[in-house]
Amino acid sequence: MGKYVPTIGIECHVQLATKTKLFSRTDNDARQAEPNSKVSEIDFALPGMLPYLNEEAVRLAARAAKALNAKVANVSRFDRKHYFYPDLTKGYQISQMYQPTILAGLVELHGGVKVRINHAHLEEDAGKLTHHDNHSLVDLNRAGTPLIEIVSEPDIHSAADARIFAEELHKLMTFAEVTHGDLYHGNMRFDVNVSISDSDKLGVRTEIKNLNSFRSVEAVVAYEIKRQTEILESGGKVVQETRGWLDDQGVTTSQRSKENAEDYRYMPDPDIPPIVLSKEKIADLQKDFPKMPAQYRQEFKDLKVDSSVLNVILSNQETAEAVSQVLSSSGLEPAKKIANMFAGLSFEGDIKIPETADLVELAKMLSSSEINSNAGDVIFKELLGGTKNARKIATDKNLIQSNDEDEITEIIDQVLRDPAAQQAVDDVKSGNDKAIGFLVGQVMKASKGQANPGIVQKIIRQKIV
Amino acid sequence: MKITREEVRRLAELSNIFLADEEIDYLSGDLEKIVDYISELSELDTVGVEPTYQVTGLENVWQADEVGEHLTREELLALAPAVRDNCVKVPKVL
Repeated sequence: MGKYVPTIGIECHVQLATKTKLFSRTDNDARQAEPNSKVSEIDFALPGMLPYLNEEAVRLAARAAKALNAKVANVSRFDRKHYFYPDLTKGYQISQMYQPTILAGLVELHGGVKVRINHAHLEEDAGKLTHHDNHSLVDLNRAGTPLIEIVSEPDIHSAADARIFAEELHKLMTFAEVTHGDLYHGNMRFDVNVSISDSDKLGVRTEIKNLNSFRSVEAVVAYEIKRQTEILESGGKVVQETRGWLDDQGVTTSQRSKENAEDYRYMPDPDIPPIVLSKEKIADLQKDFPKMPAQYRQEFKDLKVDSSVLNVILSNQETAEAVSQVLSSSGLEPAKKIANMFAGLSFEGDIKIPETADLVELAKMLSSSEINSNAGDVIFKELLGGTKNARKIATDKNLIQSNDEDEITEIIDQVLRDPAAQQAVDDVKSGNDKAIGFLVGQVMKASKGQANPGIVQKIIRQKIV
Repeated sequence: MKITREEVRRLAELSNIFLADEEIDYLSGDLEKIVDYISELSELDTVGVEPTYQVTGLENVWQADEVGEHLTREELLALAPAVRDNCVKVPKVL
């Protein structure tokens, strides 16, 4: 790449976690729903229908603003964005062109990069089309679903940072409980703008829309930087256009551009009176605000865990809070143990975040060598499956290990008396230290897994070396 | 203000309507007159005047986030000119 500096801006559509749509009291959960089963006369845009703004969408927008370090506008309004396409029954989308609810903000990435937010606006989603031989079919379940569109300034300069920014937005929006954040169901979709330049002036940009994974955001940016560099180095010019991402082939392709520039003829929507929020009202909408990722990062600094461990804990607010609770109630060591256990686990399936007391108990049993690390994993999984009481699980499953040296010595003597052990004893004596593993194994077996292997090894060494 | 045939065609396209050639001829004349008439308004000094976004004077008109009663899928789809697989069927787009 060398001399070209890439510049990236990202727009992100976030589906708000409301029960109903932005302007109608229709069920907003379209997952696995039959086509057009979540549609009312307002979403269907029958003549004469009057849309009513969803109060909860305003509350969530105010909370999204706080997560983005942005001010909430005292006055915001809705506008009509006109275009004809069958996924949009009214002939216009209700959006906020001129006076968005969420003003300029700032997202600081954990690598230190600061990405300014231009604004974020409320708008309704469109329906879904499927295309067939000679017709298209319209499903309006998603039509009217409340979104906020977060628009960043072009402050990102690498594919890796583009991904980190997308992940951070996901954390901010889920920790603030603005969205369910389910990427599989399109709860967050990213549009990226990429250009490269070897001067102070920005280069010609391309836009790639509708990416629904962090991985594809990173891959698209990397691909576009490479593609644009190759064009410029061979003396060509980058064309300003919208490109599509073919995920299976890992390439972007030119999408047929419209003959005419888009002209949405924005106008104020006379159906929706303005949102007017006093300082007091905004404070009320933002009250009881949960901790954000940056605060957890600050708290967890002294844990000194690997950054990959930190990423796993922070990928989910409940996990971060669980570790935070262990930290505040029992200190660094237990918190670090629990953090590492969360990170060692693959997050498939439905897990229940255990109670703090159980996590603390688990960490204590590990610290005092009452249980070994394998037993710790077994107990942890039981807790995540919803079983309560870490100590009871340990007892029920016979996982408490013996640290009683006299008891262990007795078992060791038994094992060593067995002629089958003689070869290993000789091997250890002649310097083959690995053979001690066999002896430890025999003792563990004889103790039904309850002897502390550390102590077993120590005593065997004392006896035969 | 001169309105060209091209501008009328573009307007028709944005409005998703079809115009015959003779309609384009007389519409460009009509639109010129309309724009000239309306442009008298721009002679007014509106510095510092807040645009009229709304005429009702209402603000913060919203509803609680609870599912309410509405027409059913069957009632709504019955209004569509063509239906297939519980979807509205439209001429192929894309």
